Amino acid sequence: MAARPKLVEDKPAIGSLRLPRKANIVEKELPGKLSAIALRHTGVPLVEIRLSFPLEAGEITHSAPSLVLTDALFAGTEQHDRESLAEAVERLGGGFGASVSGDRVDLHAFALAAQLPEIFALVAEVLTSATYPAGEVRAERDRKADEVLIALSRPEVLAEELLSKRMFGRHPYGSAMPRPSALRRVGAEALRGLHRTLLHPASAKLVVVGDVPARRALDIATDELGPWLESGSGAVAALEEAPPVRPGGVALLDRTPSVQSVIRIGGSAPRREAEEWPALVLANDILGGMFTSRLVENLRERNGYTYSPRSRVVHGRAASTFRFGAEVSTEVTAAALVETRYELGRLVTKGITDEELEAARSHSIGSFLFQTATQSGLASTLAALGSTGSRPGYIAAFPSRLARCTRAEVEEAARRWLSPAAMATVVVGDARSVAGPLSSLDVVTAA
Amino acid sequence: MPRSDHKVTIERAVLPNGLRVIASPDRSSALVGVAVVYDVGFRSEPEGRTGFAHLFEHLMFQGSAHVAKNEQTRQLEAAGGVFNGHTMADLTAYYEALPAMALELALWLEADRMGAPAVTEENLRNQIAVVEEEIKVNVLNQPYGGFPWIVLPELAFDTYPNAHNGYGDFSHLEEASVEDAVKFHRRYYAPRNAVLTVAGYCEPDDVFVLAERYFGGIPSAAAPPHGPWPEPPLPSARRRVIDDPLAPQPAFVIGLRTPDPVNHLDQHLAYAVAASVLGDGEASRLRSRLMHREQLVTDVGCMIGQFGGDNMLMRDPALFQVVVNHPGRATTDEIVSVIGEELSRLAETGPTEDELGRVEASFAGAYWKGVDSVMERSVAFASLEAVHGRAELLSELPDLLARVEPSSVQAAAADLASQSAAVVEVVPAGGQP
Repeated sequence: MAARPKLVEDKPAIGSLRLPRKANIVEKELPGKLSAIALRHTGVPLVEIRLSFPLEAGEITHSAPSLVLTDALFAGTEQHDRESLAEAVERLGGGFGASVSGDRVDLHAFALAAQLPEIFALVAEVLTSATYPAGEVRAERDRKADEVLIALSRPEVLAEELLSKRMFGRHPYGSAMPRPSALRRVGAEALRGLHRTLLHPASAKLVVVGDVPARRALDIATDELGPWLESGSGAVAALEEAPPVRPGGVALLDRTPSVQSVIRIGGSAPRREAEEWPALVLANDILGGMFTSRLVENLRERNGYTYSPRSRVVHGRAASTFRFGAEVSTEVTAAALVETRYELGRLVTKGITDEELEAARSHSIGSFLFQTATQSGLASTLAALGSTGSRPGYIAAFPSRLARCTRAEVEEAARRWLSPAAMATVVVGDARSVAGPLSSLDVVTAA
Repeated sequence: MPRSDHKVTIERAVLPNGLRVIASPDRSSALVGVAVVYDVGFRSEPEGRTGFAHLFEHLMFQGSAHVAKNEQTRQLEAAGGVFNGHTMADLTAYYEALPAMALELALWLEADRMGAPAVTEENLRNQIAVVEEEIKVNVLNQPYGGFPWIVLPELAFDTYPNAHNGYGDFSHLEEASVEDAVKFHRRYYAPRNAVLTVAGYCEPDDVFVLAERYFGGIPSAAAPPHGPWPEPPLPSARRRVIDDPLAPQPAFVIGLRTPDPVNHLDQHLAYAVAASVLGDGEASRLRSRLMHREQLVTDVGCMIGQFGGDNMLMRDPALFQVVVNHPGRATTDEIVSVIGEELSRLAETGPTEDELGRVEASFAGAYWKGVDSVMERSVAFASLEAVHGRAELLSELPDLLARVEPSSVQAAAADLASQSAAVVEVVPAGGQP
């Protein structure tokens, strides 16, 4: 018989959360009107670079070329073929790549900190002299088409796409992922044209974070990016504001066979600069933004309907949106939707407790500190802020804004933004099994 | 090769009850990472109880002697913390990152659940349901579900610890009892079978004092047996075809054996270098040839371990895997034979100086990226300490890889080329879209 453990019974006292000191962010406009920010962050001897480029409405609606460009950009330059370019980056202990994230294209790179000039030189090389060799472009677009084919076989991808369409309609944000057939038609000339209109310094935002003094990092950027910065500038892409989300009903997409239904619910949300933004963050944390939120406790810990229900807010240039998601067993699909709408309704009609507010406050401050504690997390956060026009000072200001929110403000933000009546709902699953039960809750339309 | 004199410090202590404690101070952020890693994973779970190690990980979040259900996670989040847990072949890890002044809270919660988790029938039934939903979302409702991490070991191995599905059969999960949990905890969750790591904003002497205060009262018990679970090489090649109604394109994985990652680390690392030269990064040999030159595949990569890159976190046997997604322009056999040619070419002429230099630089960059977060750092140190008895391996690895001789890489490739392979193919069973 094992001895009984002698454990400390009482929870230890912990001090109150300290807010971070103001970060020494250096902002500067480089030649070519490139807006740049840099921040020294020690910890590991690396450096992270982000360059983000806003897409125009048409480029978001027809995103096949930009999706192919994110790979074809590295398919060869005037100095290097694809393989020797990849080798050059590996020798720096680094990597680079590009991705489409909604309404922008991000170029990201990292390297050992001492290699900052060399990695910047390679970034400049692809920006000024990517050649888009015809054979490589054909291979790249076919591979992208294959990747998209696989993505479209994933139910979560279908549900996110359907929710965007349901929320934004004809606005570019409502567009679907490019289909394989569209990707297979992208040609080298189109990519060269897109490169000229998209990848120019005047509309770009540069972020450098790493174990390099900030001013020095921007001096290196100016020197190494020189040829690109002098390459001239184009117009800054405009994008009209998205209309508010049209609420109501359940759009159901049949995917048979499916052992689970993917539920997605979305609505409009305030911008980061709005007065009520931090209050909405806290309301969302209480609702479904943290593990000990109402939705996780209900759907997962009490009912066992789902593994990972979560809600969050996503910011784009044209709109901010609230999104809830859960993958639930087919047989409990309607029950899970009832519980989800109940929690939304309970939050907006019955308010929150002080204890919930304080837990959410600490969690939202703590998780923001965690997100911005690594070089890559900090660089990506700054890039995301810049892409929607937020100032880098947000990094230091946001925790204090959270610290000041009152319960009344959080309840008001919940009432204004999180009403189930203001949301759009989509379900992807086995329609024969779930259409009936869902119809007893709401108007169901086949998507 | 670019180098850095940046160093990560490690200090260690062992409590009288056998708990190993590691402190790694770093004040570049105000956060602290805490990890408790237990030397048990799904290879140790009892027969007839597949999936139990992972289910038990879920139960450890359900409260303990002095902490009610939901309170443990609530306390962590209310202190500004983030947390998670994971179960692998040989390890189960629990970890959190918090503002430094909440360190003591994390230690108290971890000690309470190490000493006395509260497993009730109700919590058990609830978490079985949650785990089943986890398996559905990650495996049953996905194209390529469980490929390759569940399906390859089933074919490549013959003994229960190596071959069984670590996520578990639903029938086994549903038969699990509170008594099973009590037994599993008693056997595998003793302090002697665990490593506690604190990384980030901390003072090592304080960490050791606090570790004794909170964990010191947990009674000592003998450490249970653990692997390796060696199996002889396959006598002949094996092939399994899986019809996947959700997959739009074919995929396959080749599984081969490597030397013991713990007891023959030097030899094992030659296979890691071979994996990198062949299939890690755009300039690697298989990606250059199969993806870019011959354009036969959508994706190809080489990795060692069950999930890829976890080869340092498991005991023997660990599989060398070549994973391929392709659109069907060539048959599996044709692509397998190209891979065989590249293995033979590496065996005959070895890696170039430049390839070795790039592997070394890439590992160094990846190493630093991997320890940027104090949470990941605490988990990595604790895991290496549990399996290798040497947390320092994390920072030593780039140098160890740099010392691998080209002739060892040649020998590794020759061995891989000569082995009988296990190949699992996924074939789209639905209509092609």
